[in-house]
Amino acid sequence: MASPFSGALQLTDLDDFIGPSQECIKPVKVEKRPGSGVAKIRIEDDGSYFQVNQDGGTRRLEKAKVSLNDCLACSGCITSAETVLITQQSHEELKKVLDANKMAAPSQQRLVVVSVSPQSRASLAARFQLNPTDTARKLTSFFKKIGVHFVFDTAFSRHFSLLESQREFVRRFRGQADCRQALPLLASACPGWICYAEKTHGSFILPHISTARSPQQVMGSLVKDFFAQQQRLTPDKIYHVTVMPCYDKKLEASRPDFFNQEHQTRDVDCVLTTGEVFRLLEEEDVSLPDLEPAPLDSLCSGASAEEPTSHRGGGSGGYLEHVFRHAARELFGIHVAEVTYKPLRNKDFQEVTLEKEGQVLLHFAMAYGFRNIQNLVQRLKRGRCPYHYVEVMACPSGCLNGGGQLQAPDRPSRELLQHVERLYGMVRAEMPEDVPGVQELYTHWLQGTDSECAGRLLHTQYHAVEKANTGLGIRW
Amino acid sequence: MKDSLVLLGRVPAHPDSRCWFLAWNPAGTLLASCGGDRRIRIWGTEGDSWICKSVLSEGHQRTVRKVAWSPCGNYLASASFDATTCIWKKNQDDFECVTTLEGHENEVKSVAWAPSGNLLATCSRDKSVWVWEVDEEDEYECVSVLNSHTQDVKHVVWHPSQELLASASYDDTVKLYREEEDDWVCCATLEGHESTVWSLAFDPSGQRLASCSDDRTVRIWRQYLPDNEQGVACSGSDPSWKCICTLSGFHSRTIYDIAWCQLTGALATACGDDAIRVFQEDPNSDPQQPTFSLTAHLHQAHSQDVNCVAWNPKEPGLLASCSDDGEVAFWKYQRPEGL
Repeated sequence: MASPFSGALQLTDLDDFIGPSQECIKPVKVEKRPGSGVAKIRIEDDGSYFQVNQDGGTRRLEKAKVSLNDCLACSGCITSAETVLITQQSHEELKKVLDANKMAAPSQQRLVVVSVSPQSRASLAARFQLNPTDTARKLTSFFKKIGVHFVFDTAFSRHFSLLESQREFVRRFRGQADCRQALPLLASACPGWICYAEKTHGSFILPHISTARSPQQVMGSLVKDFFAQQQRLTPDKIYHVTVMPCYDKKLEASRPDFFNQEHQTRDVDCVLTTGEVFRLLEEEDVSLPDLEPAPLDSLCSGASAEEPTSHRGGGSGGYLEHVFRHAARELFGIHVAEVTYKPLRNKDFQEVTLEKEGQVLLHFAMAYGFRNIQNLVQRLKRGRCPYHYVEVMACPSGCLNGGGQLQAPDRPSRELLQHVERLYGMVRAEMPEDVPGVQELYTHWLQGTDSECAGRLLHTQYHAVEKANTGLGIRW
Repeated sequence: MKDSLVLLGRVPAHPDSRCWFLAWNPAGTLLASCGGDRRIRIWGTEGDSWICKSVLSEGHQRTVRKVAWSPCGNYLASASFDATTCIWKKNQDDFECVTTLEGHENEVKSVAWAPSGNLLATCSRDKSVWVWEVDEEDEYECVSVLNSHTQDVKHVVWHPSQELLASASYDDTVKLYREEEDDWVCCATLEGHESTVWSLAFDPSGQRLASCSDDRTVRIWRQYLPDNEQGVACSGSDPSWKCICTLSGFHSRTIYDIAWCQLTGALATACGDDAIRVFQEDPNSDPQQPTFSLTAHLHQAHSQDVNCVAWNPKEPGLLASCSDDGEVAFWKYQRPEGL
């Protein structure tokens, strides 16, 4: 079975010859028992291990588990053998939480919030032959039916990711003279790209990556900070689930930077892929098209949530377009109506330029897929990167083609992808600057656009992972 | 059989180390060797002996595993365990490293130039095969990263005339790749070997592919186009490859390399039992079920594993070999009488 993670993530440090004691940083926990003597280990026919004490007593040994957190911290391997048990993130886990809620006393219950990404919604819409609005409403209906309390759309948190990216770019463009590493600025919403950059190129490339949080993690801040306050709950009393088009988002949610130390809770507790939601529907024996549509929830009291909204600029969030148009306006006073893309060596590598009187003012690109990321990084290393901003995504064709999206064995994948793209594009696009709810939140929740709060809740950091020297280094 | 493989000479190419691979330049006048001493040596003739004309020593941090000449003969590519591939430009007897290709996660095992000269393929222990494109300014860009194999990829080789790439792997399979729109795709997987496939060689026409393996057999595969006369099934518009011959029982250890002479059609193998063998197709053999006979078997060709055999592209019968013993040997192969 092929690994479900993105290509960029799969290629980071796959090693056939790992000596677990040398490469795996998860410390081997040995439970010391009183008494001396050597215990023997017996292997049963079914493969289970039993420790046999000197007195003849036996104890079944636990299977070692590696959680996603450990996985992320380690530079030795990444899920190459498919034996990493993802214990904390699956639709099974969500069901456990919902079941626990049913049995628990009111004070012990957790508020369950699900945030659905526009890409997952488009994939489900294609599968069930529904339009995006009906899909959003019926999904809300489904989740509430099984015990979820609120269902949000990450297109809302994406407003913040885009605004922060725009502001960051303008700031760095203006500060070029003072800082050599200011540009190019590289998009940060894709965790497959971030993991690859941290593990392979480390301190060289990290200063170029935007510190703006991805929509998933901004939603984490919104739900566990703003919404929690509104509901008069501590963040640990909320169980926040996101629905995403890929598995890499599970690793993003597990990052220590997104763990709230004070309340010992993650900003995002569980990431389900589109496929896992589909499995959940099947297990609950629910036919999505047959459900009664429910009204959509909104994080802003004022906004009417009649239909879902989206952003222009493609199925991966529209970072290039938003940053480009904002920069053109802010830096040069030029209004760009339509952004024209010029494909380069392949359809996943395209560029956009802003020219005036023969001079190139802005030179942006989108680079999707590992081969294009490679070329970009190599050019950067040689000082030959001509771009000011690059929207980098690990998956060819972007997020709509993520590894967690629904497949249709009876349809050519190219045709399915085009259908999903069409459905995604049907949703009304909004400009983040024009959304009143967003401005209110900047004012009342974050105390201003460049505040300390905004920096803490809407931005993040990156950490280069040092490559351990192979303990088993057979020097050929 | 008569002594059809005669030793012409030996050179201690990579002393105190292994010699891993050899490559003749397209003109057949120079032989490049590479080894565990991290060096590449270029050999040429002076009278009757082979002398070292250049040493390329500043390119790699670890073993150089393979070398390959560009079709024009002006460039040499070297694949190293240091995870990089160097491109050297030839300027008479001097070689200058003009580019270093990075990106593989660990040891690069092989490098090969496409017949057009514009494309290069590399493969690695990271299980991937990369296709690179070179432009007029000698700039290399990655065109595709292929993750079809499930284990270490040992060797890549291009078809002699088409833009078709073949790779051999520790996962016991051979895979073939071609371009499709703006990317490369795996268009065939050849299964049959029972262990690591170490090397590959196309026949002069490109219709057949020979593979050699740790399972001590050589397999010959034939390409069948859609709607072929023999009724071999093809899926869609991609050709099918079928194993039409297996040479077993000849080798007592792993077969590390195989070379198909583009001039004579002779097939040479390099074996872990220190021997070199040559096979020829029988004259009246059925093209769909060919038979090959062993026409030369030189025991103790080297004092250790033979890692590579390479036919000279211009002089029929001239064969070079190299070994873990660090030596390069030159041989003259003559077809035995009566065969």
